[in-house]
Amino acid sequence: MVSNSDRPSNGALATVSRRVIEGVLTAWAAVSLTFFALRLIAGDPVASLLSQGLASPDQVENLRRSLGLDAPLLIQYLKFLSGLFRGDLGTSLYTSRPVGTVIAEQLPATAQLALTGLGFALLIGLTLGVISAWKEETSLGQFAASTAGLATALPVAFTGILGLILYRQILGVMPILGHDVVRRLILPASLLGFASAGAIARVVQASLKETMKGPYILAARARGIGHGFRLLWHALRPALPPVVSLTALEAAFLFAGTVVTETVFSRPGLGRLLVTSILQGDYPIAQGLVALAAMFYTTSHMLADILAFTIDPRLRRVT
Amino acid sequence: MKLHQIPLLIILSVILVSIATACSIGDEKTSTVVYGLTLSPSGIDPHLNASSELGIPLASVYDTLVFRDPETGVFVPGLSENWSISPDGLKYTFYLRRDVTFHDGTPFNAHAVKANLDYVMNPDHHSQKALFMLGSLQEVEIIDDFTVALHLVEPFAPLLDSLSDVYLGMASPTALETWGPTEYQFHQVGTGPYRFDEYIPNDKITLSRNPDYAWAPSIYRNSTAKIETIVFHFYEDPSTRAIALESGEVDIVGEILPHDANRFAVSSDFNLYPIPIPGQPMQFFFNTHREPTDDVRVRLALMYAVNRPQAVKTIFDVYSPVAQSPFLASSFDLEPQESFPAYDPDTAAALLDESGWKITGHDNIRSLNGVPLELHIVAPSWGSNPEMAQLIQADWEAIGAHVTLEIAPGFGPLKEAQTNGEYHAIGINFFGTDPDLLRSFYTSTGLYNWSGFEDPELDQLLNRASQIPLDLESRLTLYEEFSSRVREEALVLPIRNYVNLVVVSNRIEGLHFSAQGWYPILIDLQMAP
Repeated sequence: MVSNSDRPSNGALATVSRRVIEGVLTAWAAVSLTFFALRLIAGDPVASLLSQGLASPDQVENLRRSLGLDAPLLIQYLKFLSGLFRGDLGTSLYTSRPVGTVIAEQLPATAQLALTGLGFALLIGLTLGVISAWKEETSLGQFAASTAGLATALPVAFTGILGLILYRQILGVMPILGHDVVRRLILPASLLGFASAGAIARVVQASLKETMKGPYILAARARGIGHGFRLLWHALRPALPPVVSLTALEAAFLFAGTVVTETVFSRPGLGRLLVTSILQGDYPIAQGLVALAAMFYTTSHMLADILAFTIDPRLRRVT
Repeated sequence: MKLHQIPLLIILSVILVSIATACSIGDEKTSTVVYGLTLSPSGIDPHLNASSELGIPLASVYDTLVFRDPETGVFVPGLSENWSISPDGLKYTFYLRRDVTFHDGTPFNAHAVKANLDYVMNPDHHSQKALFMLGSLQEVEIIDDFTVALHLVEPFAPLLDSLSDVYLGMASPTALETWGPTEYQFHQVGTGPYRFDEYIPNDKITLSRNPDYAWAPSIYRNSTAKIETIVFHFYEDPSTRAIALESGEVDIVGEILPHDANRFAVSSDFNLYPIPIPGQPMQFFFNTHREPTDDVRVRLALMYAVNRPQAVKTIFDVYSPVAQSPFLASSFDLEPQESFPAYDPDTAAALLDESGWKITGHDNIRSLNGVPLELHIVAPSWGSNPEMAQLIQADWEAIGAHVTLEIAPGFGPLKEAQTNGEYHAIGINFFGTDPDLLRSFYTSTGLYNWSGFEDPELDQLLNRASQIPLDLESRLTLYEEFSSRVREEALVLPIRNYVNLVVVSNRIEGLHFSAQGWYPILIDLQMAP
C-alpha cells in the first residue's frame, strides 16, 4: 500500500472511525450497567432521601410519586436514555438542580488537579524511566527503578496523609508559592502524579532499552555519537508511542485517583461528587458522572491513537 | 520547533498555568475563623434538605420563632415575642417582633412566616425533613401584620421544638420568591447574626457578620457577632481533621476521632469539647419477627451477653457514656430507675438454656431441635457501627451462637437489608430534641419500626404523648412508661450516648452549642485576648 506520509492514510481514518463506534458502544454499556447496578447496590433512593426525615408511610409514597420514582424500572431507564440522547442528564434528587450544572461546577477543580497530576506523572515518570535505562548498572539507576516500583505500590490514601503531616516542612522548601497553592494544588497533584509515574517509568525504561537495540542506534554509535545523546536524541522519540498509549490509560486512572485525593485533601471536584452521590443515592448525578467518565475514557484513547500516529510515522503505514 | 519538544512543553505549561490559577486564591485575614465541617451535604437549603451538618453554619444565618435553652430545654422568645396554644392544642398563635429586618432589607412579619411555611409544605419542593416536623399543620392564618396563627388537624406536641430548629428558620420571602427551590440554597437570606455570603459545593461556605443584628434571643451571650468572617471547609476524611487543626489550617472541627482527642485533651494549644447530642443512642434493634429473636428470653440473653461498658471504652475511649435508655435529651432524660441489663454472661446462658437453646454437641454452638443458634447482624457503615458490631459478634459467640455480620454501606443498602428481613439485630439511630421521634421507631405503623414489634400498649403510649402539647409532666410520665415497656420486651440494645468531639484552637474563645447539640452559637465566638 502506497501512502503519503504527510497525511493520515485510510488506515488511520478507519482506525479512528472504528474507535468512535467502539467509544459510543462502550459509553452506552457503561451507562446502562451503572443505571441498573446502582439500583441493586445502593437500594431505594427515596429511603436514602428520607434518611433524616421522619415521614409517615403516606408521605414517603407522595415523595416517590412526585419524583417519578414510582414508575417501572424499565420505563425509568428508557426515559433516562432518551434524555441522554437529547443531552439532558436529569436533575438531582436532593436539590432538583440539573445534573449538567452540578457536574459543570465541579469539573474545573478536577480538571486542574488531574492535568497538573498528569504533568507531574509524565515529568517524574520520564525522568525515572530515562535514568533507570541510562544508568542501568549504577546505584542511581537502581534507585530510580526502585522509586518507580515504590510509586506504583503506594496509594494516595497513604502518601496523602503523609504529605499532609509533612506539608509545613514541604512549604518551607517552596515558600514563594504560599500556603494555598502548595496545600491545595502542588501537594495533591504531585502525589497523584507520583502514583501514576511508576507505570510510566517502567514503560519508558523497557521501551528505551528495546529501541536502543535498533540498527539506527548502532549507526549513530558508528558515527561516534555518545551514549547519553544517542539515548535522548535518537532513541527516546521512537520509544514514545507505547508511553503515549499508557498515558491515555493513566489519564483514566488519574481521573479515578482524584476520588481519594480530593477526599484526603478536602478539595472540591468530581471524585467527591461521585462518592457523595452514590452513598446518598442521588442516582441522576452518579449516572451523569459515569456517562461523562465513559466519554472521557474513550476520547482519551482516541486522542492517544492519533498522537501515536503523529509521533511515529511508521504507524501510518500499518493498517 | 522540534516535534519531540512538544510533549515536554505541554507538560510544563500545564503545570505553570495550574499554579498561576491557584495563586489567585485569596489569603487569610486575622478576624477570620475557619470551621471544619465533617461531611459535604447534597444540598443546604434547610427548608428542603436534611443534613444535620447544614445547621452548623446556618443556625446563625436564621432566627427561629422560638429558641430552646440548651441547659434547661425551656422555650424562650425568638422572632416571636410571645405565643399561646389553644386548650385543644390545634391552634398556635405567635405575636411577632416588629423591629426585625432580613439581611436583604425585607421586613420580617406575619406574611414572611406564612411564605416560609408554605414554601416548606409545597409538594413540588420535595422537602426532606422540615415538612415532617410540622405534624398535621393545615393552614397558616395571617391575623394582622405581626400576628400569625398555625392551625393543626391533630394536636402535635413537638411543634414548638420543630419551630426552634434551623430547618424552620425564617428566610426572606423576597429571596425565596426570587431564587426558587433549586437556587435559593446559594442565595440564603435570614435575619440572624451572620449573613450568608457564598456557598461553593464541596469547597466552602462563607458567612460574614451582620452589623445590624439587634434582636438576639436570651440564649445568646453577645448582642452582635464579634468575628468578622467565618469560612467553613469540608473535612470528610476523619483522619485528616486532627492534622488540619495541628497545621493551623482550621480553628474548629467536630467529629474528631477518640484517639486523636486524647492528644488534644492534654494540649495547651487546643481545647476539647465533648458535646452530648440529644436523641437516640447508638443502638441495635432485635427482629421480633424471626427465630430465635422472636423469643423475649433470647433477646434478654443477648442483652446480658454484651459487655457494653468495655465495648464503649474500646471504641470511644472515655468520651461516651454507656447508654441506659432509648432516648436522651436535656429536657427529656429517660434514664430509668433500673438500668438496662448489665453484662452478665451467666444469666445470659441460663436464659438461653431456659428457652431451650442448649449446648449439645462438642462445637460449643447452642441448638434447639437440631437447629443451630445462628444470628445475623446488619450494621451501618458509619459512626463506628461496624467496629461495635464486631465486638457484639464476639460477645454473642462467647455464649454459644454462630454470628454473621453484614455492613450496609449507606442508608439505601441498610433499608434494603431491613426490607429483606433476614437480620436478628440491625443498627439505626436518629437525633432530635423531642422524644416524639420514638413514634417512628416503636409504633406498629412507624416507618422505622425495625424490631417489627406491634404492641397496642406502646402505640397508645406514644400516640398519646404526641398529642399533649401543654402538659410536659404527663408527657414525661408516658415516656417513662414507654421506656420500661421497651426494656421489659428487650426490643433494643442501647450502646452509647452520642458525643460529638469538637476541638477548638485556643486562639478562639466562647464556643458553646445550641439545644440541638450540633449547632455552635457563632455569635458568641471571639478571638482570645
